[in-house]
Amino acid sequence: MLLVACGWQCAWAQDATQDATSEKPLRPVATMFTAQYGHASVLDTYLSPVRYGGHAMSLGYEAQQATGFAPERWTRQLSLAVDYDYTHNPAGNHSMHGLMVDARWGMMHKWSDVFTPSLQFQVGGMTQFRGGVLYNAYNSNNVVSARIHWNVGAMAQAIYNTRIKRLPITLRYQASLPVAGVFFAPDYDEAYYEIYLGNRKNLAHLGWWGNRFDLDHMLSADLHLGNTIVRVGYRNRISTSWINHISTREMNHYVVIGIGGEFLNVGAKHSKKVNNNIISPVYQ
Amino acid sequence: MKRLVNILIVMMALLPLASCHDQPEWKNDPYGNFDALWTILDEHYCFFAYKNVDWQEVRQRYRAKIHGGISSRELFDLCSDMLKELQDGHTNLISTFDVSRYWIWEQYPINYDERLIDEHYLHFDYRRASGIKYQILSNNFAYVYYGDFANGIGDGNLDVILNGVATSDGLVIDVRNNGGGYLTNVETLVGRFIDERTYAGSIQHKNGTGHNDFSEPYDYYFEPARGRVHYNKPVVVLANRGSFSATNNFVSIMKSLPNVTVVGDVTGGGCGLPFNSELPNGWSVRFSSAPITGPDGKLTEFGVEPDVKVDMTEADAALGKDTILETAFEILKKKRNN
Repeated sequence: MLLVACGWQCAWAQDATQDATSEKPLRPVATMFTAQYGHASVLDTYLSPVRYGGHAMSLGYEAQQATGFAPERWTRQLSLAVDYDYTHNPAGNHSMHGLMVDARWGMMHKWSDVFTPSLQFQVGGMTQFRGGVLYNAYNSNNVVSARIHWNVGAMAQAIYNTRIKRLPITLRYQASLPVAGVFFAPDYDEAYYEIYLGNRKNLAHLGWWGNRFDLDHMLSADLHLGNTIVRVGYRNRISTSWINHISTREMNHYVVIGIGGEFLNVGAKHSKKVNNNIISPVYQ
Repeated sequence: MKRLVNILIVMMALLPLASCHDQPEWKNDPYGNFDALWTILDEHYCFFAYKNVDWQEVRQRYRAKIHGGISSRELFDLCSDMLKELQDGHTNLISTFDVSRYWIWEQYPINYDERLIDEHYLHFDYRRASGIKYQILSNNFAYVYYGDFANGIGDGNLDVILNGVATSDGLVIDVRNNGGGYLTNVETLVGRFIDERTYAGSIQHKNGTGHNDFSEPYDYYFEPARGRVHYNKPVVVLANRGSFSATNNFVSIMKSLPNVTVVGDVTGGGCGLPFNSELPNGWSVRFSSAPITGPDGKLTEFGVEPDVKVDMTEADAALGKDTILETAFEILKKKRNN
């Protein structure tokens, strides 16, 4: 994930370099690497009718930048995450592992100076891929439950830039809400062995709020310590589905810590000439 | 700003559509655990109709026996007895102190004596690869024993084994007391005895909670192991009641092949692909959830009939002879002489 994030960072920063040589405003990339830890509650009736609970961990990367077109009004965001859950049944004698990758890309319209110059709203759309497996070692032919989702939906954030004494702080609430998509699910008691044998009928399903609901939202405070930004926050992820009489429900709570900053790749020969306007996607 | 408010209003109006559904949660007490077990079987077990089991009646009969002071072991025994009504070797209740079982083979002749074969036929001189014993015997018939389909079979190992017995006049594959394992190993092994795509049977799965909610049968085929060593001379498969689950499936498929004869006893059955679940108190339950037919289109839940039914006799055993293996040699001799 780090490599992908660095690659993406370079691509976006190169975009910013091109801006620096023109009269266009500079568009720094606000990036953040996060480590998250908390509690997971997992129910997947393909694997077990009882709810498991335990540890939730996640490593995340987030990059935001004003768009090349209408940078004052639009921002784009990329987030990548690897989530790992290690949970136990209520009796404490069975455990389950969940490993998921999550990639999300969105674009949001910005409304600045809402009620107060320090408050801005961003609302837009996003597309998300999420995939991985839940693994319950105590099962036989239903030992794993694969998760593959592709969604489109809404994304929004409210950002409030303030100070505590001399420390600049950015308070942010962000929510990502898939509305429709496609996802994988086997039939009620269909074994993966049958899929292996070649029966691949009815494995892909159209997702909507009638058969699945997902919400990922986070409340965070970004502390501006010089050029470094430290994030502390709380994230909650809800994922439920109801298809083929299989019920899945996941509720994860995380404490978030992160480190990042705003990056602008300006070449040395241009750096002295730069007097462009700088448009941050999040901060002021 | 007005646009933003409109978007939020529309989204909030749609939220009540969000997928919501009741999921029963049972209490961790004797009634809760019993109800969980009964319901799991009620919604997932695949042979109620085939075995003509009135599961509602079973519930009433057994639930009435629960009382407030029932101990954990008493509840386990009661639940075990309820599961035995299903007559299914794939259905087990598993606790820290016991595993309930309906192992029909325990009630039948054993029909296999490993020591007798090792001593009197192999003379303790055999090779072993991928958990498979093999050797060419003095009568120039090869003997192969595969005791556990949970042991992975490597293609390279199979090449070595079949090359090692290539000069024999016939092959005995002994899967007696093989309690099953992975069906993928069945495919790997059968692939060495077929030269063309071969119908292996069909599989169904429950597609709803009703006792008769099943998907359409899905026919599946095995491909020959291309580029690998095959065995094309006469083959005899030895089976007994301990040949269960994946082994039962293997025997049913091998029986359909033209060059193969099945000798011994009826297999132990077990043609339902098992799933697992669990109760609030942590006990696990395994049960048949997906019926698999053999190539003849029939369920083999109660076993595969051999082509030649024969039991081991005590008189033969006393002479160091395995009656079933001797019968296999007679069949192979006739084919060699023809």
